[in-house]
Amino acid sequence: MMYTTYLVWLLIAPLILSLVTFSLRWLKRYTTRLVEVIHIISISAVLILAMLVIQGVLDQGSVATLSDWLHVDALAAIFLLIVAVVGFLVGIYSIGYIRNDVEIGELEEAQVITYYGLFELFLFTMLLVVTANNIIIMWVAIEATTLGSAFLVGIYQHRPSLEAAWKYIIICTVGVAFGLYGTILVYSDAVNFLREPGEAILWTEIVKNAQALDPTLLKLAFVFVLIGFGTKAGIFPMHAWLPDAHSEAPSPVSAMLSAVLLNCALLVVIRFSIILSRGVDPEFPQTILLAFGVLSIVAASLFMFVQRDIKRILAYSSVENIGLIILGLGVGGPAGILAALLHTINHSLVKALMFCTSGNILMKYRTRDLGKIKGIIQIAPFTSILLMVGVLALVGSPPFNIFVSKFSIISAGISSGFTWLMVFCLLFLAIVFTAMLRLISSSVFGKVPDGMKTGEIKTTMLIPLIVLMVLILVLGLYIPPQIITLLNQATAITLTGSPIADTSSLISMQNTNNIPIVLLQFQRLLTP
Amino acid sequence: MSNYDLINSLSGLLILTSLMVIETKKLRTSAFLYGVQSFVLVLIFLALAVTMKADQLYLWAASAFVTKVLLVPYIIYRTQKGISEAEQPSLAVRPVVSLVLAAITLVVSFVVVSQLDLKIAAVFKPALAISVAHFFFGQLCILTQRNLLKQVLGFCLMENGSHLTLALLAYDAPELVEIGIATDAIFGVLIMSILVLQIYRSLHTLDAASLTSLKG
Repeated sequence: MMYTTYLVWLLIAPLILSLVTFSLRWLKRYTTRLVEVIHIISISAVLILAMLVIQGVLDQGSVATLSDWLHVDALAAIFLLIVAVVGFLVGIYSIGYIRNDVEIGELEEAQVITYYGLFELFLFTMLLVVTANNIIIMWVAIEATTLGSAFLVGIYQHRPSLEAAWKYIIICTVGVAFGLYGTILVYSDAVNFLREPGEAILWTEIVKNAQALDPTLLKLAFVFVLIGFGTKAGIFPMHAWLPDAHSEAPSPVSAMLSAVLLNCALLVVIRFSIILSRGVDPEFPQTILLAFGVLSIVAASLFMFVQRDIKRILAYSSVENIGLIILGLGVGGPAGILAALLHTINHSLVKALMFCTSGNILMKYRTRDLGKIKGIIQIAPFTSILLMVGVLALVGSPPFNIFVSKFSIISAGISSGFTWLMVFCLLFLAIVFTAMLRLISSSVFGKVPDGMKTGEIKTTMLIPLIVLMVLILVLGLYIPPQIITLLNQATAITLTGSPIADTSSLISMQNTNNIPIVLLQFQRLLTP
Repeated sequence: MSNYDLINSLSGLLILTSLMVIETKKLRTSAFLYGVQSFVLVLIFLALAVTMKADQLYLWAASAFVTKVLLVPYIIYRTQKGISEAEQPSLAVRPVVSLVLAAITLVVSFVVVSQLDLKIAAVFKPALAISVAHFFFGQLCILTQRNLLKQVLGFCLMENGSHLTLALLAYDAPELVEIGIATDAIFGVLIMSILVLQIYRSLHTLDAASLTSLKG
């Protein structure tokens, strides 16, 4: 009972606070300080309420309310965790960043209120995506994320940022509209055998009865869904909006887009692939996901190699990592899926750190051009450490968290018989490695441009980044048992539609000192 | 003429009006024609409500009337008011080309829909095919038009197509679902229109072809 109340408030709190923020502008009675306080209340409330809801999932398997329209299972809990934690840390970072933008005249006072109002709204729409159980509301929420964040992308109102915002809204609304068709097809088929239309619209009910769905329609629906929500998730070749929006948005917004939004869309793709796996056979969605995963990795690595803009490199890195996640899902089986879900968490933390760090660099150098960013280590030594940690984590070097999940995805692939495909992907990951190392070597070292002032940015902005760095390191060495429980249950849901599964196929907590559960059990020593 | 025929023929009228929206040069006229088209959509909803005894479709018709017949054309009209005709870009492709593309879309939609095994809408197959084609017409409009506001209208056409599909296949879905979709649509138009104005203010053009500074 308590948990359902928390779930409802989790959605209400950011929505109301967003409206409060906007109404302050309308009433013309605000100070920047007041708006910031409301913002902190909002992100803190979301963080606390999300943790309580996740506790509910750990206690009782799932939390559902409002006639099951809202439903948080372990799978949703993982994504909820990402939205809440990254939302909070990036939200804190935002305060200093936006203040600086006002100081240097990039933003006007009045735009600050727009920024925070939209930030809260954006947070609400993403929370709705991960908690929705009604498949059409899932679509509505995804569409709303675009609408909520389009102005955030274009907030600077320069030519390139307006262009990026326009491309973002047009490509995403057109793409996501395909998702609506996929959703309607599934619903209209489910309504044939589920007596109550109110039931045929619920993901949980459709999954239970997936075998009764028409296989041809289901396959067609999945293609629509993948094009639609895949556009939003940044899957190649539907990613065209992503590098522009990620690079032109204010850095905290880039962090939210890359670390949170892409995953929300991915969750919807996963939800539909579960229906399809249960209804037709797992092979069909897996083959498609494998293909798109490999394509995304290949394309992103090549694009990354030719970029000179630090944020565009990071943007393509997001495409690459989303590719890795769907590669893991495509490999399938408990090992592949668990590794993919873990990678979702890991990538989010690292990418949030990286975009915020790029924000620090942008504040110092006023440019994103790697040809002009030189000698960070002399200008802002701590930022340069954050950058190096982020890059090392991103390319998958131990002891950081991404090493565990990347390693596990590849080893799951090999143990499932995709050896050559994994080798092929590794070749392109090597290109990513080179591009990333070049990013460090060119920016961290080198001759400091004339007239640069030495000195770190504000400490309040560094704290959330330090927290992110610690999380990245800790998750590389030790995964808390609660997260393992969520991952195990979420994997079971993805495989069977229900959180209880044959536990022997999943990872166990025994006999380990948890160096990420001995690299997620080293795929049982690659047994085929 | 049976109700089914009426619904299918009204759907045909949608195609005609959407082609007019796409091909008309003056934005003001386009916005007006879009209103006319939305009125046809409202009539279809009413006819469906009577035929299928689906009371909720009366509500759909009412909300579509307010948002699509009145509000959206008004938003487009207001937006284009501040923009002089002279600064409006020309078409990206010749009308003949887009007409041919539209015809191909229509044929493909009919072929695909006829293959589908949908019990719920067996009698409405032509209307369903038209709704799908209409959705793609909207996309066609976005792809072939360089005028940003025309692209917004393309989004609206797309939305009318999927709205009809929804009414045919999911009219019995809970009311809140339709409200959610309609809210997204109206906010979509509003936000896009504001963006168009912001772009016009800083770039002094409505030409999508001039939005090419970001590459790679």
